[in-house]
Amino acid sequence: MQSYFKFEFLHFFFNKKNIAVYVILLFFSCYYAMVVAPSYDPIEKVDKLEMEARYLTREDFLNSVNTERMHPSTAYAVMTYPEWNEYEKGRLDALEEHDFKKYAEATSKWYTYSDGMIYKGGDFLFYHPRYYTYGNNYAREDGHFAYLSAASRYEGYAEGDYALSIDVFEERTALQTWQRLLQSYLPFILIVSCILLSADIVLKDRRNPTLLRGFPMSPWRRLLVKGGVALFGSILAFIPLAAGLLIIGARNGFGSLDLPVPIYSHVDKSFSLISLSEFMLQNMALIILWFVLIISLLLLTSILIRNEFANLFIGFAVVIGEFTYYTRGIGFIREVQWYPTSYIQVGQVISGYRNYVYESNALTLGNGATVLSACVCIILLTVFIISNLPKFKQL
Amino acid sequence: MLPFLRGVCMRNVLKTVLMIEKSNKKNIAACIIIAVFVFGLISFITTEEKGNLIKERTGDYQSVSSALYKFQIEDASENGDGSDLYKNLVRQQRVISTQRMAARVDRPALYLETSLELADLRDAAFKMDGFQDVALYLPTKTENQLQRVYYQELVNEGKSVSQNPLSFYQFLGYLFGIIGAGWFIFVSIYSCGILIEEFQHTSLIKGYPISFGKYVLAKCSSAMLMVGIFILLLFICSLPLIYFNGLGDSSYPVAVYSGSIEVFTTIKFIGVSVLYMLLIALFAILLSIILNMLLKNMYLTMFVQLLLYISPYLFPGMMAFVPWNPINYLNFSRIFNGETLDLATPAALYMSQGLITIGVCIVIMLFIIKAFFTAGKLKRV
Repeated sequence: MQSYFKFEFLHFFFNKKNIAVYVILLFFSCYYAMVVAPSYDPIEKVDKLEMEARYLTREDFLNSVNTERMHPSTAYAVMTYPEWNEYEKGRLDALEEHDFKKYAEATSKWYTYSDGMIYKGGDFLFYHPRYYTYGNNYAREDGHFAYLSAASRYEGYAEGDYALSIDVFEERTALQTWQRLLQSYLPFILIVSCILLSADIVLKDRRNPTLLRGFPMSPWRRLLVKGGVALFGSILAFIPLAAGLLIIGARNGFGSLDLPVPIYSHVDKSFSLISLSEFMLQNMALIILWFVLIISLLLLTSILIRNEFANLFIGFAVVIGEFTYYTRGIGFIREVQWYPTSYIQVGQVISGYRNYVYESNALTLGNGATVLSACVCIILLTVFIISNLPKFKQL
Repeated sequence: MLPFLRGVCMRNVLKTVLMIEKSNKKNIAACIIIAVFVFGLISFITTEEKGNLIKERTGDYQSVSSALYKFQIEDASENGDGSDLYKNLVRQQRVISTQRMAARVDRPALYLETSLELADLRDAAFKMDGFQDVALYLPTKTENQLQRVYYQELVNEGKSVSQNPLSFYQFLGYLFGIIGAGWFIFVSIYSCGILIEEFQHTSLIKGYPISFGKYVLAKCSSAMLMVGIFILLLFICSLPLIYFNGLGDSSYPVAVYSGSIEVFTTIKFIGVSVLYMLLIALFAILLSIILNMLLKNMYLTMFVQLLLYISPYLFPGMMAFVPWNPINYLNFSRIFNGETLDLATPAALYMSQGLITIGVCIVIMLFIIKAFFTAGKLKRV
C-alpha cells in the first residue's frame, strides 16, 4: 500500500497539468497581491471627508433651525442629530489624535445608532449611496447587514487589546484579506483547483494499464489511495496562494489571528464575535470536507463515465449548482440547507451571511458538515460497490 | 536536396505535426475554454443588462452621489456657498437625471445633447480644487474624452445610441474590447511547452529527416494555425447571435485611442484587434521557444511570460520611460482605452507603435532562434 501511495504521489506531482495548476495559482496570487489588493475600496472605510461632511451638514442644520412650529420630520432631525453628531465628533477627534481605540469605540456606537435610525427610520434616511445599485431591491438589507457587522467588529476592536491601525479597520492586512476572500471567491478558486488537479487521477492509468498489474491491490484500495493523494495535492494548493499573503503582509502588515470576526446569527438577528483563528479553522474544515466530496465524486464519475471532460463538467456543475436555485429569501420556503451546493460559499456560510440572504437559520457549520459528510458516505459506498463488481475489477 | 523535394518534406513534417496536434488534449481543452468564454460572455451581457442605458446612467448617478457624500450639503446655486467642484457635481447629477429620463421616455436627441453637456461638465471638473478626493468615483480624463468623441460621432452620423449589445457586430465589438486583457496569457499558457519535449530528448528529433530549424518552423506554423482556429472559433461561436438578434451595425462607432482620440467603425476595430491578436500570438509562441531553450522548463517558461506580462502594472513608470518596449502592448485593450494616459506618469502608447514594436521583436526573435539552431548548439543541448 505504501509503495503504491508513493507511486501515485510521484505521478501526481510530476504531472504536467498539476504543476501548471500550481504555477498558475502562484501567479494569480502574486498578481492579486500586487495589483488587485491595493485597489480594494471598501464602502465602510475610514474616510475623514465623509465624516466631516455629515457632521458639518447636521451641525449647520442644528445651528440654524427654527424650533418653533416644526414639521414632524424637522422635529425628528432636531431630536436625533445631536446624539448622532456626538458620535461623529468622537470619531473625528479620535482620528485627529490617532487614538485608534477611541475611534473604534465611537465608530461602533455610530454604526449602531445610524443603523437604528436608518433601518427603522422609514424612507427618508439612507445608508451609504454605494449600496443602492441599479436593480438591487435589497440595498436597505445590505446596508443594514454591513452597518451592524461593522458595529460589532468595531466593538470588538474597542474591547480587546489589539494593535490597531487604519489597515486593520479597513480589513487590508494579510490575514484579514484572506478572511475577506474566503467570504467571496476564494472557495471557488480552491474547489476549482481541486477539480482540475483530480480530474485525471484515475483515467491516467488507462494510458499504461500494464504498469499497474504489478501492484497486488484491489481496485477499491487503489481508488482510496488515489483519492488520498488528490486530497493531499489539493490541500497543498494553499501554499502557492500563501505567497500572495506574504506580499500583502509585507505591505499592509499581517494583522493578528486574534482579531475579531463578526458572525451573524439569524435566530436572534444579531452579531457575535469569534477570533480570526477560529474563523479560519472552521473555514478550513469545511473546505477540506468539500475537497473530499469533490474527489469522491470525481472517482465515481471516473469509473462510471470514463472521460476527463465529463469529470470536469460534473465538477463545475457542482460548483455552479447554487446559482440555479438561489434567490434571496428562498430559504424561508425551501429547505436549502439539505442541498450540499448551498454550502459552496464557505466563508459566507460561516459568517452567517448566507443565512441572512437565504432568510434561513439552518445554514450552519454543523449542518454543512452533516450534509457534506452524508454525501461523501453515499458516494464512497457507491464507488465501493461498483469497484467490487467483477466487471470493474480491471479499472 | 532539390528545392522541390525540400518543399515536399516540409509539407510532410507539417502534416505529421498537425496529425499529432489533432489528438492533443490541450487543443481540445483550449477550444472548449474559448467556447465557454464566448457563451459565458453572452450570458454575462444578458444578466448584467449591458446596453441598458437606464442602468448605466443609474450607475453614473450613484457614483456622483458617492462623490457628493464627501461634501457638506450647501447652496449649490450660481452664487451659493458651495465649492466649485461641489456645484459642478450637483449639476452633473442633475444632467444625469435628465439623461436617465430621456432614455426612459425614448428621446434620443435629448439624450445625446445631455451626454455632451455632461462630458463638458466633467471636463471642467478635472481642473478644480479637491478633484483628487473624488477622482475614484468619476471617469478619468481619457475615458471622458472617449465618451465625448463617441457621442459626438453619434450626433454627426445621426445614429441611435441604443443598440442591441447581443447583435453580432456589437457583441464582437464588446468581445474584442476585453479579450486583449487575457489573450497573451492564454496563448502563453497554451504554448509554454511547445518545444520542451524536443529539448529534453534531443535524440527524438535527430531521427527526423529534416533539420531541426525546419522542424521548429513546422511546430511554430502548426501552433499559429491553431491560434487562427481559436480566433475563428470566436466568430463561429458568435454566429448564433445573427439568428437570434440580427447582424447589428458594422459601422457603429467605437471610440479608441490610437495616438489621438478617434472613432473606428466596429468592423475596423475588430480588424485591428485580430491583427494585434495574431501578432501577439506569434510573439508569445516565439518567446516560448526562446524561453524553452534558455530555461529548459515549461513551468518556468510560463511563469516568466506571465511575470513579463504584469511587469507594466508593477512598474507603471517604466512605460513612459521605455515606450518601445513590446511588453507594454501585450494587453492591447488597455492601449485602445488609452488607460496608460491616466497613470501617475502618463505614457502615450500608440496603437500603430505597438504593431511595429511587436513586429520588430518578432523579426529579432526569429533571427535569434535561427542563429541558435545554425550555430550547432543543439548538439550540446
